[in-house]
Amino acid sequence: MILIEQMILIIYLVVGMLALLSMILSRGEKSMNFFSICHALSYLLISILVVIYEKLPMFFTESRLFFIDTFALYEVVIASFIFFLVAIYLRGYMRLMIGNKELNPKNIRLFYCGFSLLLMSTVFAFFSNNLALFWIFLELTTLFSVLLITLLNAKENIVAGLHYIFIVSPAMVFTFIGLIILYVATQSAGVASINWFDIMHTTGLLQSRILEVSFIFIFIGFAAKSGIVPFHNWLPKAYSAAPSPVTVLMSAVVSSLGMYGIIRVFAIIGHTAALSKISWLLIIFGMVSVAVASFVMLQKKNVKMMLAFSSIEQAGIILIALGIATKTSIFWALLYVTFHSLIKALLFFSAGIINSQYESNNLESISDMIRLQPVASLGLIVGSLAIIGLPPFLLFAPKFFILAELGRHSIILLGLLLFFILIAVSAFAILMTKLFSNVTKDEKNIKIKKFILPASMKFTIILLIILVIALGLYMPPGLQHVINSIVAQLGF
Amino acid sequence: MIGTFFSINTITIFSVLILLTAAMITISKNLMSMIFIYSMQSLLIVIIAVMLYISEKNPILFTIAVLTFLSKVIIIPFITEKVQHKLRIKRDVTFHHLSPVGSIFLSILVFFIVYAAFSSLAGILADKTSLIIISLSVSLVFMGMIIMFTRKQMITNVIGYLTMENGVLLFSLFVAELPLIIEFLVLLDLIMLILLITLMAFGIDSGIEEYHARIDPFDPIRRRLDSRLGGRFDSRPDIRSERVDREEKAR
Repeated sequence: MILIEQMILIIYLVVGMLALLSMILSRGEKSMNFFSICHALSYLLISILVVIYEKLPMFFTESRLFFIDTFALYEVVIASFIFFLVAIYLRGYMRLMIGNKELNPKNIRLFYCGFSLLLMSTVFAFFSNNLALFWIFLELTTLFSVLLITLLNAKENIVAGLHYIFIVSPAMVFTFIGLIILYVATQSAGVASINWFDIMHTTGLLQSRILEVSFIFIFIGFAAKSGIVPFHNWLPKAYSAAPSPVTVLMSAVVSSLGMYGIIRVFAIIGHTAALSKISWLLIIFGMVSVAVASFVMLQKKNVKMMLAFSSIEQAGIILIALGIATKTSIFWALLYVTFHSLIKALLFFSAGIINSQYESNNLESISDMIRLQPVASLGLIVGSLAIIGLPPFLLFAPKFFILAELGRHSIILLGLLLFFILIAVSAFAILMTKLFSNVTKDEKNIKIKKFILPASMKFTIILLIILVIALGLYMPPGLQHVINSIVAQLGF
Repeated sequence: MIGTFFSINTITIFSVLILLTAAMITISKNLMSMIFIYSMQSLLIVIIAVMLYISEKNPILFTIAVLTFLSKVIIIPFITEKVQHKLRIKRDVTFHHLSPVGSIFLSILVFFIVYAAFSSLAGILADKTSLIIISLSVSLVFMGMIIMFTRKQMITNVIGYLTMENGVLLFSLFVAELPLIIEFLVLLDLIMLILLITLMAFGIDSGIEEYHARIDPFDPIRRRLDSRLGGRFDSRPDIRSERVDREEKAR
């Protein structure tokens, strides 16, 4: 039994390698897509099996470089589910990209290999106990997502990819300095380890001053990765230039990896005297992000660009929830990350259909949306209602409780945040009216040829719509239990 | 931390030299010399690592020195040089936001700020003697950032990033010995990053069609066959269909 336990990580690796190998050997686009679906699905299944049968946390390798705890496993389940959806969506979207010459057919194989490599590096990043190793895998996710962005035949994609690398990678250099400082802090406490689990159990011995400095350095890189405001410049460009499935991966998985890093390191801070200062740091950065993003959202005329700024806004709210640092706020922050991933996946999948129907993301070129693309319209409506936090949908509860907790902290901040959120809501209202108000009266006069939605794309969107509505109406007690145990494990 | 064989002064002098190389990169306009200065900078770090090894006898330090020598003194400058030859750009003369003199002054200011910030941590982070070296290495990171901030040319940005990375390496040499596997993976990651950026550099430099041709090693052969056999060997369907379109228009 112990042997099997030690094998789990190797199973993940072997499955990934097999998927890569079969992609390299396979000939047609369809079979490559099949293997990518298999890859994501098998990760999902393995993770669920581990949830059911194994006792957590588990450690791997002699110096405990990797571990599987509830938090990591939970994130892996969510991530592999989203990868699975993206792989299905790609079945239809890939042919479209080749059809309108967005993607050179020679690069299909590279695209799918990049997809699998991104999945693998994401999973191993979540499983890294060693924070320096986590840093390396995070860099790898940057690399592979840039690869996926730049494979398209457009100069703006390369510019966006370069922007991404040249902002995130230098910021990550500062994170590495912070990690080294953290290591020194543990050294002086007599532990000398950069493993998250070990540091969590020695926090009482660490000196708060050095922790503050190291957190500030670490925060820079992770914040850049998740698009917090002074480091957000790359995000709108990359999100709007990337093909929609890749945008889904970046907004729902890769940027939440940055947030995962912040949560992990913040949990270390949570036990020490450094907490109050760092809390304020997070709240201020979160507020600034929400403020900037919501005002910029008002002016955007590009659907994907607007959704990208909404991602920045949501990241800001999550950061504020972390900064409050009570049991309730952390609970809802964790749920917020997951729900936001699901909704953003829905919105960007729908935006991808707009892109293929009108060959543009500009609001002005969109007309007769409901008649031409009913499924995508429904997806956009449900997604927008959900993301602004309207009551029956799933972001209502997290937003409500986070605001309530903030109100206990400071009533002025609550007022400010409410104001910014209202602006973001009105930005979405403007988006909706512009999307659906441009209607030709007579059905015969519609000049745009209707683009027939492939079944796979329709399937993913409908599945997500159902999920978003269902999770809003009924939260399974299992999920609640899992999140509660994660909060306990993080020590809040 | 540092033994008797090499005094701390020698190492401090070398660290200051490293900062000097960063200053030279900041004001340099010639891309070729920039790459050369970068490899000299890495060589200085290798020398420091070897000196530390001799006084501390820690085999990890020696391995790091060897790895750094291979990757940062030989492989990465070689790749960037090759790319620069292909890009046919020799000089980067424009400065944004800050003049060269301004950036040098800013770097000096940054050094003092970093020194002040780290001296409050002196008791924990390091002894007083190596405090100056630590501040030097963190300022090296900031200088790399200033280089990236003031220049727009791709190669210069890459060199700026590499300089930042060197700063971290210097920092980690003095502050803490990370596990070797981490150092190795970081270097591997760096090389992959450089390769990806260079591929993208081609894309910015050339038109997109030409770009795909340039990164395809078989392209010259294919093109030669193509010209002899009249288009039959061109396996790229998009280009072929464009040709068909053009021919139809001509008719």
